[in-house]
Amino acid sequence: MRTSKNCSLFSLLRTRFEELLYEKTAKGGVLVGSTNVFGRTVFCLNNRPYSIFLRHFDLPSNSPSSCHHVFPKLMVTDRLFCSVEASNGESPRCWNCNGAAASPGPFLACGLCGSVQPLNQSVDFFEIFGLEKAYDMKDKNLETKYKDWQKKLHPDLVHSKSEKEKAFAAEQSARVIDAYQTLSKPLLRAIYLLKLEGIHVDEEKTVTYPDMLAEMLEIREAVDEANESQALKQIQTEVEAKFLTWSKSFEEAFKRRDFDDAITSIERMRYYDRALEEITKKL
Amino acid sequence: MLRAAGRRVLGLGLGHRVPAAASARGYHERVVDHYDNPRNVGSFDKNDPTVGTGLVGAPACGDVMKLQIKVDDSTGKIVDACFKTFGCGSAIASSSVATEWVKGKQMEEVLSIKNTEIAKHLSLPPVKLHCSMLAEDAIKAAVKDYEAKKAKLAAGNAETEQAEKVASA
Repeated sequence: MRTSKNCSLFSLLRTRFEELLYEKTAKGGVLVGSTNVFGRTVFCLNNRPYSIFLRHFDLPSNSPSSCHHVFPKLMVTDRLFCSVEASNGESPRCWNCNGAAASPGPFLACGLCGSVQPLNQSVDFFEIFGLEKAYDMKDKNLETKYKDWQKKLHPDLVHSKSEKEKAFAAEQSARVIDAYQTLSKPLLRAIYLLKLEGIHVDEEKTVTYPDMLAEMLEIREAVDEANESQALKQIQTEVEAKFLTWSKSFEEAFKRRDFDDAITSIERMRYYDRALEEITKKL
Repeated sequence: MLRAAGRRVLGLGLGHRVPAAASARGYHERVVDHYDNPRNVGSFDKNDPTVGTGLVGAPACGDVMKLQIKVDDSTGKIVDACFKTFGCGSAIASSSVATEWVKGKQMEEVLSIKNTEIAKHLSLPPVKLHCSMLAEDAIKAAVKDYEAKKAKLAAGNAETEQAEKVASA
């Protein structure tokens, strides 16, 4: 990051941040947990993590006269994982009244003052629905939980709130929709599970597995040539069965934490998924 | 620094934007042309000794590309080529262009066809660059397959000759 004081953008950021920090801490809100990470002090403000390289940093008292903020280097890192609970054992706090979250999990609205909370990026899709990070979704009532969330986040319930809270509610709602769409489809769910483990499957590489590709080519050709729904449905059943086989294979590989096998399973599932898409389009 | 970074990102985007001739959806007219008027779509007999088959896939998007070349044994020249691709418009166009470009060339020559040339010809956006990579890999795989077949045949002939020699001795 820039250290030159001639950069007007940087100076602006610095001033704004100083004011922000002063305002928030003076109002008694949410300066939670500061730890040293690679020589930087990391702290969380309103559930947004900030990382700052400090030379002097005095926590201001509530009187305006004794504020010394020197921020030679400033870095705002939204992506930094901020485990507010982990840093000092407290649950996230409301930006408005500083009350603690009523229950574990995504902090949606403050139990004490009712204000809508901002999105906490560190809460993953499984946590949103209170599920464990597993592939199997049978009997987990995902749809019911999703509908419950949407009832809580319904736009009508926030239309009387401030602009800021409306924005928070919109963000929360979008994330819940994303979560539901990802978790409800087996292929996306599998890819997301690996993503949480730090493995990215979507590499744009070329493969030359002759047997698998020959099989896929055959299937796609068959779909191309089939023109009546009877024949298409036949192919659909076959491909769905194959998808299921590899889906189970992924589940097993994931439980064993054999990620190479898991990726292979996902690749095959994706090919079958494409074929099924094409069939659906034709039907 | 943030401003400079922003400018750089914008510059990158603008540099790859499609020229004015493009349709509103963003596919270059060449890509659309290859899609509407497919050339060289088809299949050769896989077992024909003069045919090399390259079968490649992109698991990230579930694409399959088959590119076949027919080679004149005596001169090593590619006399015909055909393809069959299941994938997006860019993948289909890339393989179509590949078959056009390999026709009439020597086998060693076509190994130097780069995906960047195909991508430039079709004005592919960065997100579709891997489609042209797939086409380049398909060409290489086809050549490799033909060479392997040839080698196997030669080894097989040598064995039969040996056996005949022994038998007649």
